[in-house]
Amino acid sequence: MTTTLANISETAPRRRLQRDQVIGLLMVALGLFTAWAFGLGAAGRSQSQFTFDPVNASGTVPWHLGALTLPTRVSCLLAGALIIAGGVEILWRRPRRALLARFGGGAVLFFLAILTWASRTHGPSQVSFVNLTSVLVGGIAPAVVLTYGSLSGVLCERAGVVNIAIEGQFLAGAFLGSLIDSVTHNFFFATLGGVVVGAGLGAILAFFALRYQSDQIIAGVVLASLVISLGSYLNLQVLTPYPQYNAGSPAPNLMIPLLGKIPILGPVLFDENGFFYLVVALVLLISFGLFRTRWGLRVRAVGEHPKAAASVGIDVIRTRYVNVILGGVVAGVGGVALFAWQGQFQPGITSGYGYIALAGLIFGRWRPSGVVVAALLFGMSVYLANNLQTYQVPVSTSILLMFPYVVTIFVVSGLIGRVRAPAADGIPYKRD
Amino acid sequence: MRVELRGITKRFGTFTANDQISLTVEPGQIHCLLGENGAGKSTLMNVLFGLLRPDEGQILIDGEPVTFANSGEAVRRGIGMVHQHFMLVPVFSVAENVVLGFEPTKSFNRLDRLRARESIHEASQRFGLEVDPDAIVEELPVGIQQRVEILKALNHDAQLLILDEPTAVLTPQEIDALIGIMRSLKDAGKSILFISHKLREVREVSDVITVIRQGRVVGTAEPTDSETQLASLMVGRDVSLTVTKEAHEAGASRLEIRDLVVRDDRGVAVVDGVSLDVRAGEIVALAGVQGNGQTELVEALAGVRPVESGTITLDGRDITNATPREILDAGLGHVPEDRQRDGLVLSMSVADNLVLNTPRATPYARRGSRRRSEVRRNAEERIRDFDIRTESPEAPVSSLSGGNQQKVILARELSRPLKVLVAAQPTRGLDVGSIEYVHRQIVETRNAGQGVVIISSELDEVLALGDRVAVMHHGKIMGVVAPSTSRETIGLLMAGVVLEEVAGA
Amino acid sequence: MRRLLRWWRGLYESPVLLTAFAVVLGLVVGMFVIIFTTTPVLDAWRSVLNSWGGPGHALKTTLDHVGAAYRAMFNGAIIDPSTLWHSLNTGQGWTQTLTPLSETLTYATPLTIASIGVGITFQTGLFNIGANGQAIIGGIIGVAIGSSLHLPTIILMPLTLLAGIAGGIITGAIPGLLKAFTGAHEVIVTLMFNYVANLSLIFALLSTPLQQPGQGNDISRTLRPGALLSPLFGTTSGLRVNWGLFIAAAIVVLAWWFLERSSLGFEFRVSGANPHAARVSGINPRKVTIYAFLISGGLAGLAGITQVAGTTHYIDGGFLVGSAGIGFTAITVSLLGRNRPIGIMWGALLFAALGVGGRAMQATTGIPLDLATIIQYAIVLFIATPVLVEEIFRMRARSAGGLQLASQGWNT
Repeated sequence: MTTTLANISETAPRRRLQRDQVIGLLMVALGLFTAWAFGLGAAGRSQSQFTFDPVNASGTVPWHLGALTLPTRVSCLLAGALIIAGGVEILWRRPRRALLARFGGGAVLFFLAILTWASRTHGPSQVSFVNLTSVLVGGIAPAVVLTYGSLSGVLCERAGVVNIAIEGQFLAGAFLGSLIDSVTHNFFFATLGGVVVGAGLGAILAFFALRYQSDQIIAGVVLASLVISLGSYLNLQVLTPYPQYNAGSPAPNLMIPLLGKIPILGPVLFDENGFFYLVVALVLLISFGLFRTRWGLRVRAVGEHPKAAASVGIDVIRTRYVNVILGGVVAGVGGVALFAWQGQFQPGITSGYGYIALAGLIFGRWRPSGVVVAALLFGMSVYLANNLQTYQVPVSTSILLMFPYVVTIFVVSGLIGRVRAPAADGIPYKRD
Repeated sequence: MRVELRGITKRFGTFTANDQISLTVEPGQIHCLLGENGAGKSTLMNVLFGLLRPDEGQILIDGEPVTFANSGEAVRRGIGMVHQHFMLVPVFSVAENVVLGFEPTKSFNRLDRLRARESIHEASQRFGLEVDPDAIVEELPVGIQQRVEILKALNHDAQLLILDEPTAVLTPQEIDALIGIMRSLKDAGKSILFISHKLREVREVSDVITVIRQGRVVGTAEPTDSETQLASLMVGRDVSLTVTKEAHEAGASRLEIRDLVVRDDRGVAVVDGVSLDVRAGEIVALAGVQGNGQTELVEALAGVRPVESGTITLDGRDITNATPREILDAGLGHVPEDRQRDGLVLSMSVADNLVLNTPRATPYARRGSRRRSEVRRNAEERIRDFDIRTESPEAPVSSLSGGNQQKVILARELSRPLKVLVAAQPTRGLDVGSIEYVHRQIVETRNAGQGVVIISSELDEVLALGDRVAVMHHGKIMGVVAPSTSRETIGLLMAGVVLEEVAGA
Repeated sequence: MRRLLRWWRGLYESPVLLTAFAVVLGLVVGMFVIIFTTTPVLDAWRSVLNSWGGPGHALKTTLDHVGAAYRAMFNGAIIDPSTLWHSLNTGQGWTQTLTPLSETLTYATPLTIASIGVGITFQTGLFNIGANGQAIIGGIIGVAIGSSLHLPTIILMPLTLLAGIAGGIITGAIPGLLKAFTGAHEVIVTLMFNYVANLSLIFALLSTPLQQPGQGNDISRTLRPGALLSPLFGTTSGLRVNWGLFIAAAIVVLAWWFLERSSLGFEFRVSGANPHAARVSGINPRKVTIYAFLISGGLAGLAGITQVAGTTHYIDGGFLVGSAGIGFTAITVSLLGRNRPIGIMWGALLFAALGVGGRAMQATTGIPLDLATIIQYAIVLFIATPVLVEEIFRMRARSAGGLQLASQGWNT
């Protein structure tokens, strides 16, 4: 499949840049932008301050850490220079491994530069600061949701079915999770609700894609849209007259003793809600399952070459059903996680996360580990775009909110370059 | 293991692919199923392998009737199959492919890669099938991939091995190696069902030959029977493999290929410094085992694959890396190898397909608007001239038989003003009548003074049609010889032996 | 008799009947949604075994509610028999009688245009999920021109429409170019552009000369009178159906000619049906991809500005956002019409009727408008799965029937 399709997408002699070159060039551009916009864009004497105090839900600060005060212009110029250096290194040495890690490092520096710039003051006498810990905590929340979505995609697409209905599964999970939490005040039951509704939607998608071999993109888009309409309908028909069914609350944080007290890392990694720990476990489990077990080998065979899998007695259709339903379950739970983060259901709650998760899946090259990198990147963008306003950035929020979407377009058009999807991804399988 | 097929019948709609077929494979026997393309061999094997369910008849293993719901069950009963199109996952390693479906595992369902590697090692030694278990399949040459397929079947403990057209993609030397492997498997007590339409190999290796034609068993033969006898059984009449071809004087050079280098999708230079001339009024036949760069060479000529270096000149005009449009307009006719994929739009009408690559040419369009009456008039003319059997010009081309589909393509190309015709595998999968017709058309094109390039993996076709025969191996032209050259010499060239060495031998 | 039989068989095997069955199934789905979310109906079923009359009562309650909803939809979308009777008898109140039809046509106008744009990409084997974003940008740019320039109608009107088309073309060009030159999958890019367009809308309304003077809200200035597509029966008639209807009709005819009769349209269809053969036949896949997106985007932009110039006359933060969006509906309409202009026209009329009727239903029965959307998507799900519909209605299996759309996953 890849061979034949490559024929089509390329007409003139092959002048396409390699993936690593694109990444390198992008990093150089990013570094130049950082240095120009945040370094030279800041007044020479302005300073920035980072604090690291953990802030818990009640807004109290359990303990203090020192603050870090930096000269804005120099720091941002330095960050820019480092990103450029990273890009040049990629272009120069053409390393074969850890490209994403390098790009991730560049992205981290870029985010730091934004924050440095956002928290700058006009002179050394004034005080303005960014709490780095709360930025990280804030970025993790959307990243968790996105990871659920992308993992759902990994499960489906590794078996050869495109799941473009993640957005709908998110919404259904959030709706049911909110409903159950409002009634029972129990996140375990809410999660169970997400599992059931996700499985149900996964089964419907699988049914259309496998039993009737509908076009998977059409079926997915229509199914997602149907669920979103249904959510809006039920919101008006049920939740508005009976507000007691939409009275949930955010999931409580579960702090791991001792580890949770580590500065910075503690609040970010060990003082999160259950959905965070669950997704970490899922990433490890799916990664292990796909690449180390018999189950994973068979799933990947089904996604790459279903006929070959069938010829050794693997039931292609059944494998796909199971995986699409499992994917639905993961996305459904992701929907509950989305509600658990926001604390209340509203019709527009998903705001495109399902589709960003899809892009993250491609960016992460259909691997659980890659998906995590993508989710962190996009999650941080979402958080910053939503919160930069509080840091008094003199740019319209609408423009900032575009950031994750524009990054996604960049990712899909440039970075992934010649990344290979599972060869049979999206192609209906027919038994002879 | 003794496997018996009794009265197997398989129908697809009104078409009967297998009609009451019975045959028996004894243990330690190489049993050949001989038949033309489309005779029903593959259908029968898919029935035996559990991929299709027979409408009538039964399968017996050691006298006991069995039914297979899927191929997994067939595998479990000791039947292994090496498919014509390999059933290997390209991105998996050899070991992963071999164990797929029968994976050794450790705790937690983990793959036991060590044991997988060991069992491959053992099997490779026993049957002389050397492969590196950790190699990625898509990076291996075809011959080795086939070994992986055989290993896979053996790893599943196959007692009966079905080999579906195993030699189609191999060089003569690889075929020899395969025959060696088949013999050692036979010595180890395995039975082999060998499907082929190539008489020479069949005679060389088989113990018993069953010939099928149009879904029926038409007879059994002995390997000692002559090729002519086998061939007449197979096609049902005395065949003449030679094409009646008048001598014809070749004219000026029409197509000049110089030091051409073309890469495949993986970046391998599969056409590696090819130079070739085609003159007006001659047929240059390009022989070679599939996958030695012929496909990519044709794609480069047609402009759908970029040329890395070198030049292509068509009648004095440089068409290197020109667009397909420019090349078509410059007078290159192209009969693509995969006609349904590259040559036709199956859902569109015969009339539209007849102007597929000239939709904007006069008189079929004027100022961006199509003239449907002209398109239809053209279609009626072509259908008459080329004897295309279709209900109407408006019928979708998918409703035509394979031979008539090929006629549509030929009619389209030959009715344009051409300088050179490039036809890749022009008769693949066609019935005998259509083959003769296509050959006739090609010879007439030559007689009309055009240059013709034929690419074919059928040596008989190459020798019958070509005025000169160029042999390709690993992206290089090994030599250009007269069609009267012996098959052995051409076989050596196809295997990559350089012409001087051949001459010296 | 035999001719009648043949006619019946032809009808039975034609896509028209398949579509009709899908519509019926969609309405059945909607019925179940009503049943499961309407308290009185649920109550009636809950007590179904409590009395002898239980089942009858439950059935009656169900039919009453479902019937009321669908009747309200019909009356609100096409014509209310009682007011029609009244008008026929008295010659009065024609405006009220014709309002539903006028509304349906008004709503169908931009929908038809956008759907044809989407249909053209489908016929080319491409997915344009971003018609909504293209329409929004078209609306923004159209309003920017049409609300600021002081020009005579004869110039301003076409200029406004052209500006809308240009906005759509620009937005559509990006996914097309990216697809052609980097291989970026158009589904993701167009999806993302929907969000970018929504945010651009807010941005444009809040921080540019577009904002209504003296307003802090996200409301644009009103189009100048010369830029409006005026109502067919005059501004005083109260019927909103406007000259945009003729633009839509012209687009249907033009698109039909383009796809069925023009050389470029032929190349589009060849590319869609078999991209390999298209390439070998000298059709440049990049050119086709880019042109298809330019045309599709342009039509979406035209749809956006038609909506503004014909109906709203200004844009606000809710312009084509969420359930008011026409992009996703355009996808479904295009599928419903099998990607052909004439079919799309009928599909747009049907979906417009559902949408307009849904609003009337919400007003009369309190059942949310989203029910209409649910029915629409359900219909399309059935359309996209012809085998299912055939199975449900025991129709003869056919090989070439139904919708031929071969998506090939992300590797395309």
